Amino acid sequence: MTYLETSQAYLEQSAQLLEAYPETTRITTKYNFPTERPAQVLKRTKSQAKSNKPAPTSSEPAAPIASLTLKTYNPESGITVQYRTNKLQEVGRLMTGLGKLAAGADVASLGLSAPGADVEMTDAPEEGAGSAPAPAPAAVKGPAQGGKGKKKKGGKK
Amino acid sequence: MAPHLQADEFFSSLTDLLAKTTQKSRGSVTLSQKPLIDNITTTQPSILIRATDGNTSAPRTMKDGKVVKTKASKATKVKFSTVVPADQLEAFYTRYAEICKTGMTGLKKRDRKRKAKGKSGAKAAKA
Repeated sequence: MTYLETSQAYLEQSAQLLEAYPETTRITTKYNFPTERPAQVLKRTKSQAKSNKPAPTSSEPAAPIASLTLKTYNPESGITVQYRTNKLQEVGRLMTGLGKLAAGADVASLGLSAPGADVEMTDAPEEGAGSAPAPAPAAVKGPAQGGKGKKKKGGKK
Repeated sequence: MAPHLQADEFFSSLTDLLAKTTQKSRGSVTLSQKPLIDNITTTQPSILIRATDGNTSAPRTMKDGKVVKTKASKATKVKFSTVVPADQLEAFYTRYAEICKTGMTGLKKRDRKRKAKGKSGAKAAKA
């Protein structure tokens, strides 16, 4: 399956996949540096030197840019939802999103309807320790769309 | 397999691993999360979190000028895991996100800063 365009789409579709198969769906996050052949290293170093002429940023001038790949996979249905980014500023939001997914948040409670809006912390059902387990499964079952919505979205790409 | 770590140990191991990988600018760190199903679960299941370097931080051995892949072994492969009970998920993920944010500095930083730096640098060069 192809990579999704936005982190929002990724989180939403992951939530739907988790709703449909809450027990077998897994999420993997990969922080990866590309492997480069020496020729590629040379090419990149040159182009980097060109783009920021004055002393390339102090830290590591020749370091390749890492990437972060998020993948939600369900072996039962074979559905994969993927998203890839190389922006550091997205990491916090994505990980918080994954936390909500782990807690069984549904699409609505991800609070992503407004694009670019910061993730709200209000909806995660963990606070009241005693009553915590109850509301979460209810939230999972709530919107009875399961696989349907997911397929519909899949068609769009 | 090694026993699951406590959250604190997990975080410190993860911080180390991310720092090491970033410093070398090579290899990868894979994190996975999935519900831990233990048959007696009636409520929200705990989440099993695993982290590994996929053996990518193993030293590269050269043979005839080529990189020889070392077989994944317990000695070279880094892997650890932790289990997060459902009621601690939020606290865990807050720290988890923080550690990822500070650890994954090999990613692209905000562009704005870089541009600003470039401009001032260019001026200095001209003067």
